[in-house]
Amino acid sequence: MKSRLRVLRAEREWTQGDLAERLEVSRQTVNAIETEKYEPSLSLAFKIARLFRMRIEDVFDPN
Amino acid sequence: MNAVAAKTQTNWALGSFVIWGASYIVARGALDVDLQLGPTWVRVAAALLPVIPTVVALWAIAAGLRASDELQRRVHLEALAIAYPLAILMLMTLGLMELAVGLNRDDWSYRHVWIYLPIFYFFGFFVAWRRYK
Repeated sequence: MKSRLRVLRAEREWTQGDLAERLEVSRQTVNAIETEKYEPSLSLAFKIARLFRMRIEDVFDPN
Repeated sequence: MNAVAAKTQTNWALGSFVIWGASYIVARGALDVDLQLGPTWVRVAAALLPVIPTVVALWAIAAGLRASDELQRRVHLEALAIAYPLAILMLMTLGLMELAVGLNRDDWSYRHVWIYLPIFYFFGFFVAWRRYK
């Protein structure tokens, strides 16, 4: 699953640690999602989308 | 979970592991060397010495898991998924080898074999952790 998380984070000039703090997850989790080694659960995906005020499909692309 | 809380949880788990290991070493040392000729109740007390530290360490692991995020839980699950079959493989093979050639109890008794179980777990944890690094 393609993720735009790294781009969205960079646009806001947040570090992985900043984003992890906001999402209440570890920095490793943010890194794994950004590098597409890990697909987040639906609840975490919603949390990410809400944080960036976007729809889930605008953050993650299953294709 | 914020970074400070996660660090505290990790320190708790590591500290409890150290105390567990130390209590086991003390018990083994006492039973191997000093207490062989001592009264039974003292030997039993020495053998049971690591029980409470072990329970505390297991509690710390459980508390750490509850406080983990979803990826960390997956890493632990994959560690177990690696460690459990390895433990089955080892115990099955040892059992069959015991039938085949009669293993020396001084080398392959419970007191030697149990340590492989946490080793398998940490091996599995390392493999899973690397996958998501």
